[in-house]
Amino acid sequence: MMRVQGIRKSFGEGKGKLEVLKGIDFEIASGETVALVGKSGSGKSTLLSLLAGLESPDEGVISIDERKITSLSERELTEFRAANIGIVFQQFHLISTLTALENVLLPMELLKKKNAMEEAQRLLQAVGLFERKEHLPSELSGGESQRVAIARALGPKPKLLFADEPSGNLDEETGEKVMDLLFDLVKETKTTLVLVTHDPDLASRCSRTIHLEHGSLV
Amino acid sequence: MLKNDSSGAREPCLILRFFLLKEFKRYPFFFFLLVLTLTLGTGGILGIHLVSGEVRERLSQNAHELLSSDVALSSRREIPQEVTQDIREFFQPKSKASYELMDIYSMAQHPASGQSRLVEIRGIEENYPFYGTIKTQEGEFNHNELSISKDLALLWGISTGDELIIGNLKRRVATVISEDPSQGFRGFSLAPRIYLPLKDLKESGLITLGTTGNFAFHFRLDDSVNKEELEQEIYRKFPDPSLKLSFPQDTSEQSARMISIITSFMSLSSLIGLILSLIGVFYLYQSHLQSRLKDLSLLHLFGLSKFEIVRGVLLQFTLVFILVIGIDLLILLPLYESFAPFISSRIGIDLPGSADLSNVAGTIPILYLLALTILVPLFFGLGRASLGRQLKSQKTSLGRFRFFDFIPFTLGIALISIYLAQNTWTGSLFFFSLVMVFLFSTLFVLGLQWWLRRLTKGRGLLFPSVESGVALRGIMRSGHKLTMSFLSLSLGATLISFVLQLDHKIQGELALSATKPSLFLFDIQEDQALELVDFADKKGTPLEALTPMIRARLEKLNGKKFEKKKSSFSMRSRDDSDDPRLKDNAVNLTYRERLSDAEKIIEGKPFPDSSDPDIAPVSVEKRWAQRMGISLGDKLTFDVQGVEFEGHVQNIKEIRWTSFYPNFFLTVAPGYLEGAPKNFLAVLPNTFAGSKTEFQREVVSRFPNISFIDVEELIKKLSGIFEQSRQAIELISWLSLFVGVVILYGLIHDQVYRRHYDLALLKSLGFTQGRLLLYLFIEFGSLFFVSVLLGFSLGWLMANVLGLEIFKLSFDIDASRMLIPMVLLSILCLLTLTLSSWRAVRAKPRELLSDY
Repeated sequence: MMRVQGIRKSFGEGKGKLEVLKGIDFEIASGETVALVGKSGSGKSTLLSLLAGLESPDEGVISIDERKITSLSERELTEFRAANIGIVFQQFHLISTLTALENVLLPMELLKKKNAMEEAQRLLQAVGLFERKEHLPSELSGGESQRVAIARALGPKPKLLFADEPSGNLDEETGEKVMDLLFDLVKETKTTLVLVTHDPDLASRCSRTIHLEHGSLV
Repeated sequence: MLKNDSSGAREPCLILRFFLLKEFKRYPFFFFLLVLTLTLGTGGILGIHLVSGEVRERLSQNAHELLSSDVALSSRREIPQEVTQDIREFFQPKSKASYELMDIYSMAQHPASGQSRLVEIRGIEENYPFYGTIKTQEGEFNHNELSISKDLALLWGISTGDELIIGNLKRRVATVISEDPSQGFRGFSLAPRIYLPLKDLKESGLITLGTTGNFAFHFRLDDSVNKEELEQEIYRKFPDPSLKLSFPQDTSEQSARMISIITSFMSLSSLIGLILSLIGVFYLYQSHLQSRLKDLSLLHLFGLSKFEIVRGVLLQFTLVFILVIGIDLLILLPLYESFAPFISSRIGIDLPGSADLSNVAGTIPILYLLALTILVPLFFGLGRASLGRQLKSQKTSLGRFRFFDFIPFTLGIALISIYLAQNTWTGSLFFFSLVMVFLFSTLFVLGLQWWLRRLTKGRGLLFPSVESGVALRGIMRSGHKLTMSFLSLSLGATLISFVLQLDHKIQGELALSATKPSLFLFDIQEDQALELVDFADKKGTPLEALTPMIRARLEKLNGKKFEKKKSSFSMRSRDDSDDPRLKDNAVNLTYRERLSDAEKIIEGKPFPDSSDPDIAPVSVEKRWAQRMGISLGDKLTFDVQGVEFEGHVQNIKEIRWTSFYPNFFLTVAPGYLEGAPKNFLAVLPNTFAGSKTEFQREVVSRFPNISFIDVEELIKKLSGIFEQSRQAIELISWLSLFVGVVILYGLIHDQVYRRHYDLALLKSLGFTQGRLLLYLFIEFGSLFFVSVLLGFSLGWLMANVLGLEIFKLSFDIDASRMLIPMVLLSILCLLTLTLSSWRAVRAKPRELLSDY
């Protein structure tokens, strides 16, 4: 499903240059749930951004379903990401001027998917927020916002779902519920999940764990 | 914890360090924008006051030269001999010297070239003037000879030695006057001036029964005379309301009146710029305080009270304001020096080379106080914010604003409008118009949002594209900042449109057309009228609107005698009720069967076919009636050359003065005044085929006392004055609009910056940079286009309502003055949008991740 080969990434120049990723290689099979763990500053968010196509590596190749995303242009990468990758952020990041339903609808309508409205409503139902579909993000709690974000991420039926500390901004009880929901949906849709976390309990729920330390796999 | 000093107050150094030094160092862009915004907003008003202050100062300094004496008693008609005697006797013990002076308008001819034109003839005596020196192009000024102004010399291409005919006199030009300090604003005179010995003027045959002009006695007072006591004595001694008392200050203020009107309008236009800049200040400070709220909360935690925090912000703002004024003056003072000669040439007053800062000393504190009022809601917000909670929550926010928080600012705008307009009515009207534009625009936005909500209900985002779907929802659900962007644009656009459309209407009305006459004739004596008409007929140029004019005085209103009102003629208020000229009861009457085409009855009925032979029906002009306190049905008692004549107000009428046909405040029904001494007015229509110059020359040769006003020349002069005024007001209006655009840049920049994460998110979801820009363009661009369209429409409407109400002009539109500025402004807005959002659309989606 996903192959990562020789990935290197640095920031800064000259004496201030910092090598964040120092040659990363791994593979992820379709349907796997993978936890990407490491301490703060280990490079996991950088790795996530590269895997999700949000940034380009200095060296190396990332392939998804045999397609080298590191060779794509900005435009091609954007389009590829829209169709194949879903992202759930720690800070939820819902569009403030769109309702819960419209937030879920957005990526599907970008792809001009048929029956987008019905699918969005079904997803909201699945995350238990159908009654809140007309509410704006400012009217939703943290847990509700994250559930909308999960529904949004799954709307285009992505091959890959990246979740960046999805329960990091939630209290323990809500976080557990949200993670339960996430795992259930991922299982139901057979979506490949890459979960960035520093919570070992959460990591243990995944089928595999990748450890990152000082920019290298351990 | 914060330490107290021995008095119990917090360390002032902490406040200074935190709010001033550190803030300025750490947030240079914020302070740069703040200073820029305020400088643009205050600069216009300060610049206008700097110049107008110099004008007033100059006129005040030259006040004695303007009047050319210490005191003058004058009348619009020749003062009777017995009154003249009384005046001389009264002033004899109080004055060192005196002279008599007469100013009338009449025709002068230059036989050599065959030219004739209307001139102002000043008849002078030996002592003229007491102050100032009359400068000539060559030689000395001689009171006993004919002198002409350089304007006339230039117009006719004549010089010393040329012969002129004035009335029944022939005189040679002895000198050409290059400067007469008594002339005031040279650019605004109706006719060039010539100077004759007074005795010659009296012998010229031009002063006849009922001739109007300025007939005055001027005195140089003894040093021991007390001005206030003298004024009281004169009012007791000479109760005739037709006699006007002038001191030097009155004359300078009267001269400055015209400039005052223009500067008031310019000040009000620049007030729009100031309001827009203050809106910008509000949002800048709101964003800034919000972003600093955690730090302020920490300070509060360590012991700094909210009051001290507010004081710190106030100190910070005061320092910024001082800097702003410094920058304004640094720019304005050299600008003044560069433009003073140009302005001097335009207004005919020699301004000093450098400006006096005391002219703006009073304005600066007023601007500061007004600026403070816009911070009041923020101070209340700080007061209401739970500072402790800010440290715990992710998002910080000031306390909610309430409607009442904005009352000081609203009141401040109302008061400053009146202050700048120097007139309660005008200032209030301006403020009311602003409120109307604000309310209308707000309702429009709310209506638009409501309509969009209905339109998008139950629909997906494809409308027809996702970009527009998301953009429309942005408009629907945007907060007050987007509304304020809309309002600031529509306010500025309204102002520009108003100025342009009103100018179009006035210029259109003033334009020479077949409906306006070519020449306006006056001072036609009764025994000349028929002969003149016959003469004109034979020339193939029949005169029109031969109208009688009877001099009279309004003695009583409903049986009560008209009394002279003692009031100062002051520049400080232009409220008409204070103007003593308007209480002057000397009137001109005419009689007609029906009203002219330029008149319209708005109250009462037309003249009846028959009426009481003892009481005549009278038609009265609306505004004059209001000034004199006259209503429908009132009884009016006139003194017509010593004979009492009674009338009653049959109707109230409106007059379109720009027809340039003879129109009168008072028209009497026929059958009452035919026997009264009179002279006539007439017009030469525009449709004649011959040469008007030739006609004028022939008439003046035959009837030397008949005067002509060249309507075309007058219209050109008026158009020129309006054009200059319009240019000045329009310049300020565009500057105000520029301020609006700068504010817009700030507001958009802030809006887009706040959507930083939204934009990054949209990118992560599949929006390319091009789609992002398109989305922003649709959301902001459509709002701008609508606000510009609304603003221009409102401005058009206001100009037409004003034109209808004041100038009696019908509704019309100048499409080019709407479309071209609209397009230019829209392009400017789109450029602003592009610039302010360029960086934001390049935001990296990576910034959305947890550890960024």
